[in-house]
Amino acid sequence: MVKETRHLKKEKNKTLNQALFIVGALIGWELLARTGWFPPLLFPKMSEVFTQLIAEIVNGEILRRLAFSLYIILWGLGLAVLTSAVVTTVAMLSPLVSAWVQALMAIMHPLPGIAILPIIILWLGTGSRSIVAVIWFSSIWPLIANLHTGLRSVPTTQIEVGRNLGLKGIALVRSILIPGAFPYILTGLRVGWARAWQASVAAEMVFGASGGEGGLGWFIYKKRFFMEIPSVFGGMVIIILIGLLVERLCFEGVEVRTVRRWGMTSE
Amino acid sequence: MRKVVLVFLSTLLVIGGVLGPLVQAAPMEELKIAGQFGLVYAPLMVAKARGIFERHGLKPVWKEYGSGGAVREALISGEVDVGFMGIPPFLIGWDKGCEWKIACGFVIVPIGLVTYDPNIKSLKDFKPEDKIAVPSPGSIQHILLAMAAEKELGDPNALDNNIVAMAHPDGAAALISKKGIKAHFTTPPYLFEELSQPGFHLIVDDVTIFGHPFNFNVGVASERFHDRRPAAYSSFVNAIGEAMAWINCNKEEAAKLLAPEFGLTPEKTLTYLNWEGMNYTSAPYGLMGFGEFMAKAGYIKRAPASLEEIAFENVLAIVGSRAGGPSEIEKIQY
Repeated sequence: MVKETRHLKKEKNKTLNQALFIVGALIGWELLARTGWFPPLLFPKMSEVFTQLIAEIVNGEILRRLAFSLYIILWGLGLAVLTSAVVTTVAMLSPLVSAWVQALMAIMHPLPGIAILPIIILWLGTGSRSIVAVIWFSSIWPLIANLHTGLRSVPTTQIEVGRNLGLKGIALVRSILIPGAFPYILTGLRVGWARAWQASVAAEMVFGASGGEGGLGWFIYKKRFFMEIPSVFGGMVIIILIGLLVERLCFEGVEVRTVRRWGMTSE
Repeated sequence: MRKVVLVFLSTLLVIGGVLGPLVQAAPMEELKIAGQFGLVYAPLMVAKARGIFERHGLKPVWKEYGSGGAVREALISGEVDVGFMGIPPFLIGWDKGCEWKIACGFVIVPIGLVTYDPNIKSLKDFKPEDKIAVPSPGSIQHILLAMAAEKELGDPNALDNNIVAMAHPDGAAALISKKGIKAHFTTPPYLFEELSQPGFHLIVDDVTIFGHPFNFNVGVASERFHDRRPAAYSSFVNAIGEAMAWINCNKEEAAKLLAPEFGLTPEKTLTYLNWEGMNYTSAPYGLMGFGEFMAKAGYIKRAPASLEEIAFENVLAIVGSRAGGPSEIEKIQY
């Protein structure tokens, strides 16, 4: 109980510290912009960024773009999670496939998703299908890498204990393998999510986005060409906020309820 | 021995004394120029190859950019002194408070919307899923498309959901392979390449939309550069003029000079230089026409009220101001 409150207090202090740092950085930005040392067109005041952001939220454009980005990322990431689950399962069952998967990972992992965009455009054309494909490609390798390593790192003794308790097949996977590999699975999802965002924004900025179906990448791209620089920063602020929100609400929530509760982290 | 050295040194001194002031008499002023790649920028390539800026007392520093947006950002941050961009991107900057004006017109080229689809004969035939490639939002091609949409469909934003942003070479590759896009709003040489494909046709061209030819690009300089370095400013304007005139008077030689830059044969380059509608000129054409439309369609807050607001005095002098009603050259600004 004492340990619990101490832990909570530490968490609170950390959050407060981080919040103070962010507020300080924002004030520093505002002051720097107000000195007039930089062209205001390229380096707008923070206050202007937020006024503009509120205007974009009120007129609905930024939220529509955000909804589209999330929709397309969920598609790409969802497909990547499914594919990686299937691939890893097969790899776990066959050492031969496992070797192939490892070779493929070594080849593909360093390749940024955006690098395959020109080929994707030639094969699938422009539009959201191509962007989903780039997101899928960007997030699948960290997912497979972590799943694969995670499952293989579950100690044999634990598996044997499970077998002794009479667990077999899916029950064994659910009760021993998945919990054992969970820290890795979570890391894979985190990296996959981050990569999916990067890929979607980058892909829409390079090309393939269009007026009808475009997310935040297209929003930022378009605002840049109309020289609405506060809105460009506004788009970035939204991406940061969504990142923080998902990290805090989804990943940390899951982590506290699983990995930490199971005593699998040092903290 | 010592005598020889002494004579040698004194000779050097004399030479230095005579030549030094001469060299100083013509100091080369550095001029940072933002360039892009393509047939439109042929005058810059010619000026570079023939040392035209140097002859006008300038030491050019060339910087290459990939898009008009990047050129605009380079001008605002002071990375370059002068740059070239379409009138709409220039106006967007002007509207946002950039302190810059037009220093010269820069080339007239045919611009057109090309498709391979025999069923698309006018803008009315575009279905919601048909994609139209333009280089970027707010580019001259995008604004021309919006102007055409207003004329034909009654709404400048009617085709906004059809546009996709693609650099010219990517758009041309996509259209020629008939992958992903239905139409491409583009400029030479991509326009010429696309129209040479069997079955490819023009849906609408710039002159039909605008009413008469206009400068595809304009030379833009910051007021700061213009006010503080007037000599460098006028040398720049004169050098651009000389490069334009040289191309017009020496098309074949220009084609030979430019061919390796474009990776084309000299014959093909010459065909492109002589394509109907190409005009290497630094005269101002259509400087005011975009402003009113862009303000009405909401791309900028207000249109320039007079040419003085957006052009420097050398441009104003060419256009003039006829008492008792606009002259021919004043009329073609709208």
